[in-house]
Amino acid sequence: MANGTVVSAAVEGIVDEAVVRTVIAHAGAVAGDVYGKQGKEYLRQKIAGYNNAARRSPWIVLVDLDREQECPPPLLNAWLAQPAPNLCFRVAVREVEAWLMADVERLAAFLRVARNTIPANPEGLDDPKTAMVNLARSSKRMAIREDMTPRPGSGRQVGPAYSSRLIEFVSSFWRPDVAAMRSDSLRRAIDCLRRLTVAQ
Amino acid sequence: MPMDVGKAPVGFSHIQLKNWKNFAACEVELANRVFLVGPNAAGKSNFLDAFRFVRDLASAGGGFQEAIRRRGGVSAIRSLAARRYPDIELRVLVRAPQSSWRWEYHVGFNQDKQRRARITQEKVVRNGETVLERPNEDDKQDPDRLTQTHLEQVNVNRAFRELVSFFESIRYLHIVPQLVREPDRSVGRPNDPFGGDFLEQIAKTREQARVARLKKIRDALRVAVPQLTEIELWRDERGTPHLRGKYEHWRPQGAWQTEEQFSDGTLRLMGLLWVTMEGGGPLLLEEPELSLHPEIVRFLPQMFARVQRRTGRQIVLSTHSPDLLRDEGIGLDEVLLLRPGAEGTEVKPANAFEEIRDLLEGGLTLADAVIPKTRPDKASQLTLFADL
Repeated sequence: MANGTVVSAAVEGIVDEAVVRTVIAHAGAVAGDVYGKQGKEYLRQKIAGYNNAARRSPWIVLVDLDREQECPPPLLNAWLAQPAPNLCFRVAVREVEAWLMADVERLAAFLRVARNTIPANPEGLDDPKTAMVNLARSSKRMAIREDMTPRPGSGRQVGPAYSSRLIEFVSSFWRPDVAAMRSDSLRRAIDCLRRLTVAQ
Repeated sequence: MPMDVGKAPVGFSHIQLKNWKNFAACEVELANRVFLVGPNAAGKSNFLDAFRFVRDLASAGGGFQEAIRRRGGVSAIRSLAARRYPDIELRVLVRAPQSSWRWEYHVGFNQDKQRRARITQEKVVRNGETVLERPNEDDKQDPDRLTQTHLEQVNVNRAFRELVSFFESIRYLHIVPQLVREPDRSVGRPNDPFGGDFLEQIAKTREQARVARLKKIRDALRVAVPQLTEIELWRDERGTPHLRGKYEHWRPQGAWQTEEQFSDGTLRLMGLLWVTMEGGGPLLLEEPELSLHPEIVRFLPQMFARVQRRTGRQIVLSTHSPDLLRDEGIGLDEVLLLRPGAEGTEVKPANAFEEIRDLLEGGLTLADAVIPKTRPDKASQLTLFADL
């Protein structure tokens, strides 16, 4: 399926990097260099540069919608008025964690939680990251709970090895095609990448 | 003496320093993972040295006089911010897995008119009960006794030998790749923090454990050095141990290289992975990010966290690296900011700064919020150096 099209990417963080690499491979392309990984604001500042590079080669830029807007189009317009034809500028609704929750079966097995505790409509969640942490909190495995949920007093939203656990999940278990059935923003991202891959 | 499971100390929970090097007075809680950040010469290494000092007191070949001598004497230890000649004091609280158990060790010292180091107080409290308090009657009868702590004396430390073993188990590591490659240049003492006996340590490990650990290191290193496919211990004709690795290559069989040809980054990462796999007492690390690619550094905090979940080992490290601090799993109570002032360096956890919490809530990374607070005041003047 892979036709060797190399797609560069820019993302917010290290979990997003694992996600975008998996999605690119799923769309039949090869992940190239992955840029950013220093938060959302960093991407906002550099978006013109990525867009400029996308005039010559295929790119995907993935950002979380968070609570910045009600839906993706206003964010896309506000960030970049004229995207280059080779750029997939995609927004995860509302956070990339929602994409992971959309593969209910695999996530339940990985976190060792009951399937019916995983939200059926992940894109409807106001704060998917907190929802993910809460799922981990109910895990039957102590290692998952300790890695993913914050200690009292840490002042952080996530546990000490939250990201590396999610990266492990994404790289070994997560199925983008299954997840796309419950997540429209993921489905659109895959479609866009497929168009890029075919166009090359 | 058999140790009670659950009561033997495992990590420091609190430290208080008075007139210790850069610290005129400081008192902080310690998490199981601690990140020390601050400008150059703020005292990050001197903070770590307080733990090494208690290790020196308790360890064979150490003791109070030796610990002072290694540091250049009492006056070299005393804070410049100290008024006149007050005592230097260290107090640590040590926790045990059974949460109700606590140990406390407190030592104060000064020097006499002949500039000899003298203990002015020493105290051990075990779970609320004072088991040692000096100076006692014997010390008053024979003041020369105050040239040694009771930690270092087997015949008097029986009641708190678990604490002594804990202090002895502290490990400091600051691998210098040149010394790993040329151990002759190091002082050759065991547990050389600079890696001079790193190969010897690997060679001494039981074969089964060694093979298993090297395999784990190889798997972990694949991320950083994908060409490296095998690592093993190998002895040359003189019996000297070497590490060698097989690199995948354009040659069909690949090629073996020994530690002499490994890059600085590969060696430092190997050393780091090796010590984190050893169980044991608190691990003190000096700038683990050195010579490593930023993309590797970003994953160090998560790697430490996952290793700690298995071993329970406390890790205290100093860092200048924004890549390391960008990790969103680092607790604000795990980061200690060292900020120099007229009255010595002040130490505060990141959660003591309201603006840090606000900045994080507003979407900044911990690195963005913390690094500006630790920046040297006049860094930009360095550029003027060229015109001096």
